[in-house]
Amino acid sequence: MSSRLTRRELAALLGGAALSGAASPVSSRFPVRHPGLVAVARLAPGEGCGIDPTAAREAVASALAAATGAAEAGAAVRALFRPTDVVGVKLNCLGGRRMSPRPEVVNALVEVLAAGGIDPGRIILFERSSRELEGAGFAISRSGEGPLCFGTDNDYEPRPSVSGEIGSCYARLVTETCTALVGFGVVKDHDLAGVSGSLKNWYGVIHNPNKYHDNQCDPYVADVVRHPHVADKLRLTVLDGVTAQCHGGPAYRPDGVFDLHRLAVSTDPVAADLWAWRVLDTERVRRGLPTLEAAGRPPRFIATAAGYGLGIGDPAALEEVEV
Amino acid sequence: MTLNRRRFAALLAGSAAVGVAGRGLAGVSLRPGDVVDGGELPAREASWYRKLEENRVECRLCPQACKVADAERGTCGVRENRRGTYVTLVHSLACSVHADPIEKKPFSHVMPGELALSYAAAGCNVECKFCQNWEISQFRPEQVRATYLPPEALVSLAKRAGARLTAATYSEPVVFWEYVRDAAEAARNAGLAPTVVTNGYIQKEPLEEVLPLLRAVKVDLKSFREEFYERQVRGRLRPVLDALEVIRASGVWLEIVVLLIPTLNDSEAEVRDLSRWVKGTLGSEVPVHFTRFHPTYRLTDLPPTPVATLERAWNVARAEGLDFVYLGNVPGHPGESTRCPGCGAVLVKRLGFTVLDNRLVDGACPDCHRTIPGVWA
Repeated sequence: MSSRLTRRELAALLGGAALSGAASPVSSRFPVRHPGLVAVARLAPGEGCGIDPTAAREAVASALAAATGAAEAGAAVRALFRPTDVVGVKLNCLGGRRMSPRPEVVNALVEVLAAGGIDPGRIILFERSSRELEGAGFAISRSGEGPLCFGTDNDYEPRPSVSGEIGSCYARLVTETCTALVGFGVVKDHDLAGVSGSLKNWYGVIHNPNKYHDNQCDPYVADVVRHPHVADKLRLTVLDGVTAQCHGGPAYRPDGVFDLHRLAVSTDPVAADLWAWRVLDTERVRRGLPTLEAAGRPPRFIATAAGYGLGIGDPAALEEVEV
Repeated sequence: MTLNRRRFAALLAGSAAVGVAGRGLAGVSLRPGDVVDGGELPAREASWYRKLEENRVECRLCPQACKVADAERGTCGVRENRRGTYVTLVHSLACSVHADPIEKKPFSHVMPGELALSYAAAGCNVECKFCQNWEISQFRPEQVRATYLPPEALVSLAKRAGARLTAATYSEPVVFWEYVRDAAEAARNAGLAPTVVTNGYIQKEPLEEVLPLLRAVKVDLKSFREEFYERQVRGRLRPVLDALEVIRASGVWLEIVVLLIPTLNDSEAEVRDLSRWVKGTLGSEVPVHFTRFHPTYRLTDLPPTPVATLERAWNVARAEGLDFVYLGNVPGHPGESTRCPGCGAVLVKRLGFTVLDNRLVDGACPDCHRTIPGVWA
């Protein structure tokens, strides 16, 4: 079963431009970057564990502005995206409803993007399968006012792309449909990779991630992201850290979960992972657990990604800005 | 003979009576012939793994020995940890089914000219950059359209297709080893000869458990150099050599295929080392096929193997004392045919996958009466 957009759906999204060849949908790499800067907003559940939509919107807006150095969120959106962009937001829903980006927080991002001039109908929330999206509380939508929301569901490029050590077919949603990408992950431990936050999330756009979990996913995670299919379009990374998991990932495990009550936003996908690594290790030490390094699974792909020029991998250069 | 959709459906009609709706851990009910295409997969507990602490498992099927966290899969992509229980997602999920001549596997000493009902499930435990079947081997089962074909239905299909053998092939049978085991048992019970075409990347215990059910195994020995296995295959050579020894010692018929790739594994020295090892460890009677590479998958920047390279390998292997050396993927070449190592007579003359003449008499050369090893009936 393929969920590839029909020609009509694709034309509606792109306004016909890409299909007619009137304009290139491809943008240049990292139009706005603040290497090493991670903006962190406080965001906590209210009564009943739900997130107040207004609080979520304010947290996203303030963190986005701080992450881009813009005066306000609208200016940040306009600096990062063009109104003609088709913005793909890659969610990480492997952890189910309890360890995935919360729909309220994702909706807040959509609202902020919309307020900045992006038509919600040109925003696609996606994961590798529609089933995983539904399992995390998202409703599948392939038409309407937007945002759209569906899985790539095995719709891949017909030939593998080689990037460093990986050879993978990328999802056509990423290669053909979207002109800009946002990574929207969580802050969690990963049994093999060490950290699953920003960069690891992009394993969900290739057909064969299972092949690349040896050697702590290094250099494979970095290789997936550095391919132009991702690197040339990736504008922003958001990490839902309202609840985080410091142990037992990538699946949800209650005894590894803790209240972080933070939302992180960065234009630097590598620094975002550095930040996640730091907060996970802080909690692990607090609990008497070994650090990820001591546990034998430091997220080495972070340094590799930094070596590729994808962002800042030096912890000393990480600049965390609380908003 | 390729089974097109209509013929496949026709052959399966009636199979439902012999197949029983399967119910896996995931609660997916299927009947023989049902198409599975991207939805929920039937899951069965895997046979070879051990539980670790904190819901982790260690796979004991292949030498990758994946340690898999909850909700994750092994390198093969077809085995998943579900809260500490390791499950296979490909039992009875055939993504490719054809009735092929046995020569296509290739087997040259197994029932020449007969059909083998050949089947595969998605996935592989290595990643050869030159994989010819990467569209099924390098994908996960939910990414490949498949038909629910439990062992009894597979056997029924084989009989209707006129096949006297079954062959687990195309992708990598090791990753669907429980299906191979159960299908082989059903095939044997029905009087068919079960065979396997594999990379030989498997641990000893599961191999030894299934070997008694098989009539023949063909192993792709991809190189005789560890470096090649590391760089081109993402595996290791040593476990494959170990598996070859186990297969040979079991008495199950064994043939070896070596795909010669220009500049990567086609040196005279490597072919000589390989041939010496085969003769010294397995015996000169084990057939070795040198086959021609064609650019594909991730290895598209190399040319097809020159025929002269194949012929050089043939000469080296013969000079090292191997009795049965074949050339493959070169239709019409004399190296396709079986010759008597005693008198040199052509015993089975082949053109591609077609047997033009079979002069064997009770498994022996009609001219010098030398016994030719193999599975002839």
